[in-house]
Amino acid sequence: MKTAIQRGWYFLAASPPVVLVAVFIGFPIAVTVIYTLGHLGGANSAISSIALHQVSSNGRFATFGAYREVLTSHSFLADLVATVWVTAVSVAVVLLLAWLVALYGRLSDTRLARLLTSFAVVPLFIPVVIGSYAILQFWSYGGLVKTLAHAVGLPGFPALGYTLGGVVLAEVWVSLPFAVLMIGSGLRSIPDSAFDAARDAGASVARATWTVLLPMNLVPTIIASSFTGISILGSFTVPYLVGPTAPNLLGPDAAQTFQSFNEPQQAEVIAMVIFALAIVVAVPYLWATYRSNSGAPSAS
Amino acid sequence: MGDVPVELRRAERLVSTVTTGAEATGAEATGATATGATATPATQARRAPAPARRRRPLTPGRAAVGLGMLVLAIFIFGPLLWLMLWAFAGVWHYPSLLPQSWSLSWWREIFHYPQLVRSVGLSFTFAPIVTLVSAVVCLPAAYAIARFPVPGRRTLLVVLFASNAFPKIGLYITIAGLFYALHLMGTFFGVVLIQLLGTVVFMTWIPAASFASIPRALEDAARDVGASRLRVFFTVTLPLAAPGIFVAMVLAFLASFDEAQGTFLVGVPNYITMPVQMYSLVSDYPPQAAAVFAVLLSIPSVALMLLVRKHVLGGALARGFELR
Repeated sequence: MKTAIQRGWYFLAASPPVVLVAVFIGFPIAVTVIYTLGHLGGANSAISSIALHQVSSNGRFATFGAYREVLTSHSFLADLVATVWVTAVSVAVVLLLAWLVALYGRLSDTRLARLLTSFAVVPLFIPVVIGSYAILQFWSYGGLVKTLAHAVGLPGFPALGYTLGGVVLAEVWVSLPFAVLMIGSGLRSIPDSAFDAARDAGASVARATWTVLLPMNLVPTIIASSFTGISILGSFTVPYLVGPTAPNLLGPDAAQTFQSFNEPQQAEVIAMVIFALAIVVAVPYLWATYRSNSGAPSAS
Repeated sequence: MGDVPVELRRAERLVSTVTTGAEATGAEATGATATGATATPATQARRAPAPARRRRPLTPGRAAVGLGMLVLAIFIFGPLLWLMLWAFAGVWHYPSLLPQSWSLSWWREIFHYPQLVRSVGLSFTFAPIVTLVSAVVCLPAAYAIARFPVPGRRTLLVVLFASNAFPKIGLYITIAGLFYALHLMGTFFGVVLIQLLGTVVFMTWIPAASFASIPRALEDAARDVGASRLRVFFTVTLPLAAPGIFVAMVLAFLASFDEAQGTFLVGVPNYITMPVQMYSLVSDYPPQAAAVFAVLLSIPSVALMLLVRKHVLGGALARGFELR
């Protein structure tokens, strides 16, 4: 029924953002890949003309010299471990907190429960620079937490500013709203009857949550964890402002490699490593959305 | 009823309190902020349909919930309030819980730096432009993806998603090379473009989900009674999708308003926006200056948050991230 011309029009209507992304994100990613493999000419000639310490493929298909150099460096490996650690811990804490907030909002439909959900969403609207700076001040030496610890006789309480623990706190702060919205929206779409049936059969709230709500809300939970993980892996502002000098996350590491050491090729290798980690984190998300859509045929 | 935001209902009640008897306002506010379990007889009477509330016994479970909420509230708001205090602090040395002296001097001082004033103007110029351009580029696509059998639409959505997974810093380094070649470095358009890239994904996804969630039957019914396609779009489809579009536009505005890394790379030295300025304030100025600037930078964000809070909490944002 649909003619080829009509299909062409639909495609054309859908294409502007895709063209924008293809030209200014897709193409640069492709250029980045060949740059890290040692191709310094063509689209890379501008950047490679100012760069220090490059590895060239010298006309061969590819060289892994830049990768070998970065991946064997001790500071990089320390940053890699820090990145994986901070991401894993932050995602776990975000999921736990978001589930608690969303569950309370779902099970107890009181004014207080709704207020709690609105609280948890506030950081979404605060610029990340400001959130990070505020958290740094709050948890640092001289901040409220340290001041209160001092007041109650705990002078040895650690100041978390400029530590990876502080980075975890700030990443959780920044990521919580999205997870609460995702998981909360998923929980709200589960009918009361599913939960009530389990309760009527004698299950406790905890058991009914574990055996009914959790499996039924698995897809939003996976979406929340994938997006949170990806944004933390590639984050720059939070670890740059709150984190220690070294080891820190790979985002600031890449920025420093480029801006301070003027080694864009090595910086791009670090970016490729972040990208690879992000793809690993994205796999459950793609699996979950494909799976949830393949069941019923779409109405549209 | 469940979706009516708390603030709105509270505001309504506050208005009625103010108009009928101002003396109850104080009690109302404390009742709302304390636990919600107590209310004065005056407010109780005015809240006619609400069931009578009684004080429930304090069980360990309820105490744990209360404590958890308090900890979360401090975790979220503590840093922001602490920064607010710094904005009005004169002298403040550890371990004093409050500043030793108060001062407004940095609120005046900040406006004596022409560079800072200019950055405020620039931020408020870029953000609306980026939001509008993003809407023009993405909204027709969102509608097409939601309503028409676009060839390869699933692939389109996944490609948009993948573009989000590549770390920004790596992207900016290569884009710098591209922008040099296109003579976009240090230009107004270059900054708009780099900020635009950060908005494309949700400006397409969230409105697409809103369009998709509108039942076709509504549009068909309007067509059946003789409305033109265009009329159906503007009187039926668009108003129903408006919350999602609105949320996406506010997020785009904030993303542009918040963007520092790419703006720094492309805009320096001609276009230094507020968040870019914030980096140098943090390292080069006393905490008071950074705090004042941070409070200023937060004002539009908080205002926009109050505008869209209802729709964000109602699921307009969450729907956009479930690929369909």
